[in-house]
Amino acid sequence: MKKIMAVGMAMVLALGLTACSGGETVREETTTAAPSAAENSGNQEAEKAPAANSNKVKKNPYTEDIKIAYIAHDLSTPNNQAWLEGIERECASWDNIVVQSFNGESSAETQVKIMSDVINQKYDAIILQCSDGTALAPSVDEAEKAGIPVITLNLDAYTVHSALVMAVDYDAGRMVADEMAKEINEKGDVVIIQGVAGLTRTDNLEKGFRDTIAKYPDIKILDAQSASFEKETAITVMNSFLQNYDKIDGVFCINDAMAEGAALAVQSAGRKGEMVIWGADGESDALAMIESGDMTGTIYTNSWDEGSTAAKIALLMIGSEYDSAVLTETPQVIMEPIVVTIDTVGTIPPEDRW
Amino acid sequence: MKGINISKFSKPIILAVFMLVLTVLRPSSFLTVGNLSNVLWSVSVYGIMVCGTIFVFLIGGIDLSIGSLCGLCAVTVVKIIRYFEYSNTGVLLGVLAALSVGILAGLVHGAIITRFHVPAFLITFATQIIFLGLSMILTNNKILSCLQPELFTAIGMKKIFSFPVPIYIMLLIALISWFILRKTVLGRYVYAVGGNSPASRLSGISDTGITVLAYVFSGFTTAIGGVVLASMTQQCMATTGSGYETEVITAAVIGGVSLLGGEGTVSGALFGAILIGLLNNGLNLLSVPSTEHGLVKGIVIIVAVGFDALQHQEKFKSWLNQFKMKKVQGAA
Repeated sequence: MKKIMAVGMAMVLALGLTACSGGETVREETTTAAPSAAENSGNQEAEKAPAANSNKVKKNPYTEDIKIAYIAHDLSTPNNQAWLEGIERECASWDNIVVQSFNGESSAETQVKIMSDVINQKYDAIILQCSDGTALAPSVDEAEKAGIPVITLNLDAYTVHSALVMAVDYDAGRMVADEMAKEINEKGDVVIIQGVAGLTRTDNLEKGFRDTIAKYPDIKILDAQSASFEKETAITVMNSFLQNYDKIDGVFCINDAMAEGAALAVQSAGRKGEMVIWGADGESDALAMIESGDMTGTIYTNSWDEGSTAAKIALLMIGSEYDSAVLTETPQVIMEPIVVTIDTVGTIPPEDRW
Repeated sequence: MKGINISKFSKPIILAVFMLVLTVLRPSSFLTVGNLSNVLWSVSVYGIMVCGTIFVFLIGGIDLSIGSLCGLCAVTVVKIIRYFEYSNTGVLLGVLAALSVGILAGLVHGAIITRFHVPAFLITFATQIIFLGLSMILTNNKILSCLQPELFTAIGMKKIFSFPVPIYIMLLIALISWFILRKTVLGRYVYAVGGNSPASRLSGISDTGITVLAYVFSGFTTAIGGVVLASMTQQCMATTGSGYETEVITAAVIGGVSLLGGEGTVSGALFGAILIGLLNNGLNLLSVPSTEHGLVKGIVIIVAVGFDALQHQEKFKSWLNQFKMKKVQGAA
C-alpha cells in the first residue's frame, strides 16, 4: 500500500514539475519579457526533444543493469543507516539494480572525491546527503550535466537538481514548542540542548522552536548549550543545567540521542517528573523512553520510508527522459512528521521503528 | 627556594585558582557536592583511560586506537548482555569479554611493535580503523540499546554516598596505576625504558616485556572505560568513544606527561582530565554560548599549561634569577 502511495506521490511530483515549469513560462511571457523567458522556452523545446542537447539516457530501471550510489554524510550513524536500508529495501526486489553505499565521513571534501568517482563510473543515479551544500554544488551540477539525476536526502545541495527528499525541520521545532507550551500551561522556564551549529537542519529546528516560544510571553528560555549530538555529552550538559537552575519546566534537545542523555541526567538527579523532555528524529530508543515515561515526546520521521522514497524517485528519473535542466528550483518531497507522546507512541508499529 | 615549593604544587594551585574563580562567579551552584560529583563523573571515562594509557606515554609510545577500542569494548559488553537476554550472567560474561578484548588488543599492539619495530603511531592508527570497522560490522551501524539489567546500568549511573560509581572506579584504577609506577620495580623499569631505552636494555631490563605490558594495561583500562561508557549511556554504537584518544592525550599532556617518554605522573594526568572537566562545567554554568567554548577553552589551557611549565623550567628560574642579579647590579 505504502509503495503504491509513494509511487503515486513520485508521479504527482513529476507531473507537478512539468506543469510548474510550463506555468512559470506562461506567467513570465505575459508579464515581462525577461531574458529567462527565452531561456525557459528553449528548455521546453529541449524537454520535448531530450536527445538533442541532453546527456540523459533513458533506461528501463526494472530490466536493464542499474547502479545507484548512496553517498552518506556519515554512514556510522543510525539515521544514515536507516536511509540506506530504506533504499536497499526499495531495490531488493529487482535483481538488475545494484545499490552501492559510500561513507562521506562527515567531510565535504571526501564527498566531492566520491562524487567524481561515481560520475566517472557512470552510475545511473546518485542519492546524496551534502555535508556542505555549497561545496558539493559543482559536483552535483557535473553529475546532472552528465545525465545522472541527483536526489538529495535531508541535507540539500545549493544548486538546482533533480529532487530533495527531506524531513521537516523548522516545523518540527514549531511543533515541539507548541506541544511543550500546552504541557506546561504556557508558563515556565525552558532550556535547549543544541547540536553542532551550522547545519541547516539543526539551525532550523532551533529557530522554529525559538520563534514559536517567543509567542508565549510567560515562557522564558533560560539557557542553550551544545552537546554535539552526543548522548554522553548531553548527560554532562543537563547536569550543569540542573545544578544552575532550581526550576526547569521544559527541555528541548535538537536530536533524540541528546534527549535520552538529558532524561538519564534528570533521572539520576532524582528530578524526574519535574520537567518535560522533548527530542526530535524518532529513533527507536527514544520511542522506548517515551513509552517508559522517561522522555516526554519527539517528532518522528520514518527514515526507512524516506530512503525508500528517494530510491523510488531515482528509479522514476532513470526511466524518464526528463532532464533537470528544465528546472528553476529543486522539487521537494517532504516526509510526514508525527508528534509522538505517550498517548500516540503506540500508533508507531515495531516494524516502522528504526 | 620558594620557586621549588611552588613548582611542586603548581597543579593544585591552578585547580584552586580555577575553582575559586568559579565559586565567586557562581556561588550557589559551583561549590556543591552535587556539582563536583558531576564534574568528576563527566571526566571519569577519560580519567579511567588515561590512568592506563599513561604507561604507553611513559615508555615513549602512543596509542591512537583507544577511542575506537573503547567503542569495540562497549559493543562487546552490550552484545553479550543482549545475547544472554539482559541477565546478570550476561553482564558478568560481557564485562569479562570486554576486558579480554582490551587486553588482547594491547597484546597485539605490544607484540607487533616489539617484534617488527613498527612505529606505534602507525600500528595503533591502523588498529583504530580496524576496531571501528569491527564495531560497524558487529552493530550493523545501529544503536544497540541496553536499558537493563540493573547490575549493568549501576556501573555507570548508581550513586554511592551521592557520588556515581564511575568516580570510584576511576580513583581505584588511579590508585593501582600510581602504586605500580611509584612503589614497584616494574614502575621504575617503565620510567627507565621511556627515559633511555638502550641504557635500560644494557642494564638488563627487558624493554620488550615492559612495552607489551604497557600496551596491555592501556588496553585493559580502555576496556573498563568502554564498559563504563556503555553503562552510562545504556547503549552503544560503532562510533561510541570515537575521538576519546584526543581527549585522553590532551589530558595527559596538560598534566605534564611527556609524549617522548620517561616523564609524567598519574596525578598529573588526572589533573589534566579534571581541569578539562572543570573548564567544560564552568563554561556551562556561566552560560557561555557554545560557539565561544573553543576559544575560551584553548586560552585557559595555554595559560594553565604555561604557568605549570614555567614553574618546572630550570632555565626560566635561572633566567629570572640572573635578571634579578642584573637589576641589583644595575642599581648598585
